[in-house]
Amino acid sequence: MMNMLALLPACLLVLGACETAPEGTVALHEPESPFIAFNIWVKAGSQNDPAGKEGVAALTAALLSDGSTTEDSYDVILEKLYPMAAGYGYNIDKEMTVFTGRIHRDNLDAYYELFRNHLIAPAFKEEDFERVKAQRMNFLERTRRYARDEELSKELLFSMAYAGTPYEHPEEGYVRSVESITLDDVKDFYSQYYVRNSILVGIGGGYPAGFLTRVREDFNTLPEGEVPVVPAPQPRMPEGIEVLIVEKPTDATPISIGFPTDLLRGDPDFYGMMAMNSWFGEHRNSFSNLYQVIRESRGMNYGDYSYIEAFPMGYTTQQPRVNCSRRHQLFEIWIRPISMTAPGNLHDRTLFATRAALRELKAIVDDGMTEETLASTQQFLRNYTINWGSTIARRLAYAVDDAFYGIGGDGFLASIGPGLAALSLDGVNQAISTYLQYDNMYIVFITRDAEALKQKLLDGVPTPITYAGEKSAEHMAEDELIAGFPIPVTEESFTIIGINEVFEEGPQ
Amino acid sequence: MRVLIRLAVALALATPALAQQQEGIFPFDYRLVELENGFKAYLIKTGAPNQIAYVSMVRTGSRDEWEPGRSGFAHFFEHMMFRGTDKYPNYDAITTEFGAARNAFTGNDLTVYYLVASNEYLEQIMDLESDRFMNLNYSEPDFRTEAGAVLGEYQQSATTPFGFLFEKLRETAYDRHTYRHTTIGFEADVRAMPEGYDYSLSFHQRYYRPENVVLVLAGDFDFDVAEGLVEQYYSGWEPGYVPPQIPGEPQQRAPRRRVVEYQGRTLPVLTVNYKGPAWSASDRLAVATEVLGQVAFGSNSDIYKKLVIEERRVQFLNGDFDLPRDPGLLSVAAMVINPDDVGVVEAEIQSTVERFSEELVDEKLFNDTKSNMKYGFLMGLETAQNVAFSMIQYVINTGGIEAVNEYYSALDSVTREDVREAARRYLVENGKTVVTMVQAEGE
Repeated sequence: MMNMLALLPACLLVLGACETAPEGTVALHEPESPFIAFNIWVKAGSQNDPAGKEGVAALTAALLSDGSTTEDSYDVILEKLYPMAAGYGYNIDKEMTVFTGRIHRDNLDAYYELFRNHLIAPAFKEEDFERVKAQRMNFLERTRRYARDEELSKELLFSMAYAGTPYEHPEEGYVRSVESITLDDVKDFYSQYYVRNSILVGIGGGYPAGFLTRVREDFNTLPEGEVPVVPAPQPRMPEGIEVLIVEKPTDATPISIGFPTDLLRGDPDFYGMMAMNSWFGEHRNSFSNLYQVIRESRGMNYGDYSYIEAFPMGYTTQQPRVNCSRRHQLFEIWIRPISMTAPGNLHDRTLFATRAALRELKAIVDDGMTEETLASTQQFLRNYTINWGSTIARRLAYAVDDAFYGIGGDGFLASIGPGLAALSLDGVNQAISTYLQYDNMYIVFITRDAEALKQKLLDGVPTPITYAGEKSAEHMAEDELIAGFPIPVTEESFTIIGINEVFEEGPQ
Repeated sequence: MRVLIRLAVALALATPALAQQQEGIFPFDYRLVELENGFKAYLIKTGAPNQIAYVSMVRTGSRDEWEPGRSGFAHFFEHMMFRGTDKYPNYDAITTEFGAARNAFTGNDLTVYYLVASNEYLEQIMDLESDRFMNLNYSEPDFRTEAGAVLGEYQQSATTPFGFLFEKLRETAYDRHTYRHTTIGFEADVRAMPEGYDYSLSFHQRYYRPENVVLVLAGDFDFDVAEGLVEQYYSGWEPGYVPPQIPGEPQQRAPRRRVVEYQGRTLPVLTVNYKGPAWSASDRLAVATEVLGQVAFGSNSDIYKKLVIEERRVQFLNGDFDLPRDPGLLSVAAMVINPDDVGVVEAEIQSTVERFSEELVDEKLFNDTKSNMKYGFLMGLETAQNVAFSMIQYVINTGGIEAVNEYYSALDSVTREDVREAARRYLVENGKTVVTMVQAEGE
């Protein structure tokens, strides 16, 4: 693990010590490292999908990653990558498509040739397209609906919050839209967006002298092109509580809650909100408030977290996601599936957890943080965030994200320490009241007997829970407050759909 | 008695990896501290400035759940390890002060606890971790509360298609050995967990002992200081490990076959499984078995190219021949696109098995596979945490990390004949279990 704080400025400032970065590149030269990482940012994402062809940006990236090039057929590519124990991957988000690779320097030349060709010389073979599309269709029709409920609730929240904007559809698209995508659609997308003036080349690690320039020149062989500008999304704030319930025969209910915010990385208030969010619900950390209330004291589920930036696939990783930079964000609460502990108690438990989360949100909006909680959060984050840049690939990805957000200087990772140290309690609490609220909220449940859950919410009855063991009087008193915490809804607040309708097609 | 061994290889990773073979593949300087009570600590310097990864590896997992009704308990117990001691009642609050990234996980043969933090906290972490391994103390109500979180975890994993399939596959392939259940456990056992408080105390007393736990400390620290701290904080741990009474699996005498129905949507998944050997760094045939899995069913195998790329009959094909601590399953899994093709895919797998039992593997593929396995190891050595995690399988299977060099030296000596012999020995009809998952009717 190299020291991010020491290396990044060293390379960017002391030009004599490293190759001058050509235009259109981001370089993190760490000459001692035996590894070289690639991070190639194509400035297009799912927001660029044409209407009716939602998912084409993702399918294009998948076909490049898992298809033949004009030099090698796909089976030969696999054969060549195999002895190096290497591969390459891609990440598709709303605004960005990023191709990543990593190699031991013993094998750099052989690897780079394959890596370059897959992006600048794709073969677009019909048989590769059919294979990749069939895999995608299986994901859309089955895996997305049956193998990852807790991710699905998050995807539905984003879709609900960004309805009517280019962020509305999931990156992988809808069943019907992907079904309609042809190889020509993919080729069109590639020629429109994979142009040299819209690609940033990121390289990090122990690459040799002259390599960065060589790579950039290779990507400069792509044609220039005019890339249409997509306006930043302007999502609608929910009016009161708006609820989506997905009907699915399940014994555990994932819950996602959120609303749009106008906060982005790079804003002055971002560090204050980072501190707030860390204390309230740091991803996969047990000290945070939501986790303590729902999981630690009550054992209702596996974890409870909050986010000020999109964090797709949170169930697969403990570290923050990279290369998911966006021009708009939600504040999001993610409650992992709430378990049914006895027949008939799933909805009471689901609503209890929801109420607990909303009640905690109200508390932080009304009361803010204290000197004590802010100080302990600053102390935690000062050390914890060092882990965020643990590998060359991650440091490089952060540097590419800095380019997205226009964060200069030593970059976002290096700015976290000073940014946190400069916080004042008043400033943090001012930011909380600017960006957070609790009256207007999108809520998604995936559960059985959707109508019964809806009715329970409409009735407004308390939803207490029971325990396998003794709890203190103080604990039970708090439970009573949680169980009766109001969630004001009307008949119009609800949408109910079946699991097999989820992301079947776009809005008509 | 304190044994101090220093086996420094001290090669820079920058040297061409394959040239390191003469001196061992492991590129870092390390020191072993072994205490009288049987506790071992491997101190590995990895050159990650100011960082340490502190990884406690317990050689106990769901394999050790041999008593009836206790499946899933090792994993549940892992949760309880975060519930504090008399000295440090609030584990979360303290690790929060360190800003440590910390977590744990449980598998068939292991439970692993880790913290990644700044090296300024080394002594505090040593104190905190040794204390909870020795003096864990939680109340029965806390224990019951935590059981609810485990039930949530069960429900989110066991109801997915693969969670369901693996549970049924293990049940079908094994009669007696504890690999018959998955790490998350059977649902009935998970639901009964709140009643297991006394059992949990006994579980801790029997398995969380110095003879059964190995510390791997990787990163940036001073050898002498770290060694002194290990002695200071772990010497007082009383030995007393009680080995589990894991029943041996009787020899399978006939092939088994089962179709299971998933209550949801899935493409059919065909799994063909054979009874394999236990992991070993010294038994060439065991290492050859792992090579066999790659050459026969890996991403560069003929069957993969045929079924996935050319004919596109399957969504994926995967050979998992990684060996566990006790004799385990060698598994081939394929997700079949057209349900009518399941028989064709099974016949392809069968003919691949027969071919590798009769013929020698192609020489280029064989050598490329050895290279793949070595670079796979080296590519994993980037951070202090990854270096420590790369040691897990050696520690769990042998109790130490010395087997790393032994394993890669055995891999060098494996021949194509060994690979064929592994196929002849283990891919046999009477040791075979075929389990196919299909979508239930009406879904």
